[in-house]
Amino acid sequence: MSMDLSISRFWRKKEIIYKLNGAKCKSCGKVHYPPKNACPYCGSRELELVELPRRGKLISYTTIYAIPEGARHQSPIYYGLIDLGVTKITAELTDIVNANSLKKDMEVEATLRKTQEDRDAGLIYYVLKFRPVLVQK
Amino acid sequence: MATPKAGIHGWGAYIPIYRLPLSDIAKIWGWHPDQYKGLAVESKAIAGPDEDSLTMGYEAAYNAIKRSKIEPKKISAIFFGTESKPYAVKPSATIIGEALGITPFTMASDLEFACRAASEGMRSLIGMAASGLIDYGLAIGSDTAQANPGDVLEFTAASGAAAFVIGRTSNASAIIEDSVTFVTDTPDFWRRASQPYPLHGEGFTGEPAYFYHIENAVKALLERNGLKPSDFDYAIFHQPNGKFPVKVGQDLGFNMDQMKDGLVTPMIGNTYNASALMGLARVLDKAKPGQKILLAPFGSGAGSDAYLITVTDEVENRKPLAPTVEDYLNRKVLIDYASYAKSRSIIHVIK
Amino acid sequence: MVVYVEGVGMTKIDRHYDYSLKDLAANAAFAAIEQAGGVDGIDYLVFSSSLSSLQDNQLDTASYLATSLGLRGIKALNVEAGEASGLAAISVAKSLLESHQADKVLVIGAEKLNEFVSSKVYKQLQMLYDGDTKSFYNIGFAGDAAILMRLYMDTYNVDRELMSYWPALMHSNAKENPYAMLNFAIKPDKVAKSQILADPITLLDSYPLGDGAAAIVLSNKDMSSSPLAKISAIESSTGYGSIELSEDPLLFDSLSEAFRRISNIADTSNLDFIEIHDSFTITAMIILETLGLANRGKAAELVSTGYFSPGGKGPLANPSGGLKARGHPLGATGVYQIAESSLQVANKFPGVKANNAKKGLVVSLNGLGSSSYVALVEGV
Repeated sequence: MSMDLSISRFWRKKEIIYKLNGAKCKSCGKVHYPPKNACPYCGSRELELVELPRRGKLISYTTIYAIPEGARHQSPIYYGLIDLGVTKITAELTDIVNANSLKKDMEVEATLRKTQEDRDAGLIYYVLKFRPVLVQK
Repeated sequence: MATPKAGIHGWGAYIPIYRLPLSDIAKIWGWHPDQYKGLAVESKAIAGPDEDSLTMGYEAAYNAIKRSKIEPKKISAIFFGTESKPYAVKPSATIIGEALGITPFTMASDLEFACRAASEGMRSLIGMAASGLIDYGLAIGSDTAQANPGDVLEFTAASGAAAFVIGRTSNASAIIEDSVTFVTDTPDFWRRASQPYPLHGEGFTGEPAYFYHIENAVKALLERNGLKPSDFDYAIFHQPNGKFPVKVGQDLGFNMDQMKDGLVTPMIGNTYNASALMGLARVLDKAKPGQKILLAPFGSGAGSDAYLITVTDEVENRKPLAPTVEDYLNRKVLIDYASYAKSRSIIHVIK
Repeated sequence: MVVYVEGVGMTKIDRHYDYSLKDLAANAAFAAIEQAGGVDGIDYLVFSSSLSSLQDNQLDTASYLATSLGLRGIKALNVEAGEASGLAAISVAKSLLESHQADKVLVIGAEKLNEFVSSKVYKQLQMLYDGDTKSFYNIGFAGDAAILMRLYMDTYNVDRELMSYWPALMHSNAKENPYAMLNFAIKPDKVAKSQILADPITLLDSYPLGDGAAAIVLSNKDMSSSPLAKISAIESSTGYGSIELSEDPLLFDSLSEAFRRISNIADTSNLDFIEIHDSFTITAMIILETLGLANRGKAAELVSTGYFSPGGKGPLANPSGGLKARGHPLGATGVYQIAESSLQVANKFPGVKANNAKKGLVVSLNGLGSSSYVALVEGV
């Protein structure tokens, strides 16, 4: 029996990874994701969890062909820097039909997808990825 | 004894973006190019390489909760009906529940009854809500629909999900007035433990299974409510292909006008646990207050449920709160057999 | 306080399938020790590597290495700071000398990146970036830099072709460096046409996966006999190391701070050459702009004019060929940079020479600047 993926490391972070929970600094008001132990901008430890918007705009993006172990079936990996208004995050992008469809300022929204799977018998990691919005508002 | 009633508070669906034209399957496996035409399906929806029944069920449930306008924490039962569980042991329902913010004070289980497991979940929720055991419950039907490559089943087995938030009747979008379940031991379709694909009895899946069970469930429902087919605005049946639901509907006395809006399989194939339920979601996307819906899911092995549903005024307020089935139907990209085979792990790889 | 470089050693960076991590380390260390006049007085080994625990299945490598090198009994420790490990190790060695914990320190940086197949190495390299979220994705080693490169080109309206002059310059320099992994010239127009790793980053915008080791012997003033060079100052800073956290990702905040700190304690003007951390073309551009050696958004253009080329008006950039072409055996890279720079100011570098070089600045950082180190190397 062999397991490559950690059980507890992922489990501990599920609130953050499943729900896009960021941290808002009570001192300087800035929001960051994922939550650190203190505010990366002012150092205050007075943080509160805030659920981030699930929609945002692409600031920058890439199509990755240098694929890490275990992800060949998801190749190419699309990856973006996303402006959520209150903060920026980076996330894998999904449902991208081809690399040329990626555009700056493209609207994207969060959805739950698989990222890593521990071979045939181990754990599956589910995380939020972003895809082009289904319905324009 | 009064029939326990419950309300559908929110509904939601999910269809993956990818579509495989059935002509590709015929070409790869050497079927006659016209062979599949009788199935009345042109292309089927395929989950992407990072999707499974759980991720699809999550999104359908997310949409259903949006339409229900309730806090996720108010849901206290999650029934996930699927025959394509990512984990054979380890509930998908807890992962979905966690990701949607429903946990921890909730029941949660994965149900199995071929294509009607999610419907069994709905029936359970009716009783639980009507009795006051729960305020709200979530039933999800989701499948990536395995089929033995090259088998006739492969033409229709598709990916998709539908979900419903069910609670008491007050402030609901639709009222489930009555429901009936009819099951027998009928081995029309099965998948043995540890096997990747189901087997089926071809023609045996028809008369003794699909038609017998649906007809008996629907007739029992009509009879005990003193209704006839023409009393309904919509009729929705389980849709293993495009032909069976139309035939069973016509045999029972329903017409195409009543059935057409609930037919989704001709566009995307049979999404197993989401098959009839996606039809219901699509009908609720369109239905007007006061309209009556007949819903009859079916699962091999075998059994059928029949539901009598009345749409309320509230439905109009809920429609715009999440994407419609039509939104998902319109979002599509054609792929070839190779992409589908890779996506659905049909190609053997060393991990 | 100033520390002195008594000797340096380097192996050619390559796919050294026939040599182990310890073999490479020994090759570099023995050369450095010989140049420094023997092992006498060496009382500390600082070993720098970032992936060797995974690639070589070994912990406490510094200690095992000390014994393997015939130095059993000296003090030893490992330093790991991702891609910045080499300069971090030298910074630690300098502190040991300054605090008189050591009199003469052997610093070895060694890395093998070819013990496993590339997909596994890409996954290991993903550890350079913030693991809080990235470790649950499949973005490999070039994803963040690719996002940054596109952001740079979009923000400043810089053409892809203009970015390609940097790799071409690096290859041109590396061609003369006997220790370089990619010692062949390329034309700028080849860069965009090479294999795409993470669009817009191509193979030729990126560093090769090489094995290598470099070593230096450092001493303080009292122990120094005939040093090659002196390290007059080293400074460092931590930073966001993340495009999403940073309010201005087109500058590396940690480098800006480290450079401010070193400029406060040493004269960083009139640089004859720089050895900077060009893990990707974009990293080089941002470093040049963060250091103020190019105006913001103008680094690529300045490179294309020959400003940083041999004989150019600016400081000579990466005469070694840089991470791009000399190679980037992660934890060894900073030690290579200091060894090369020491040879430059001693007029002994066996490749492209900075004319009559007196002073060079070395820049090393991890990822997108989770930490940055700067060192000033001067002639004696």
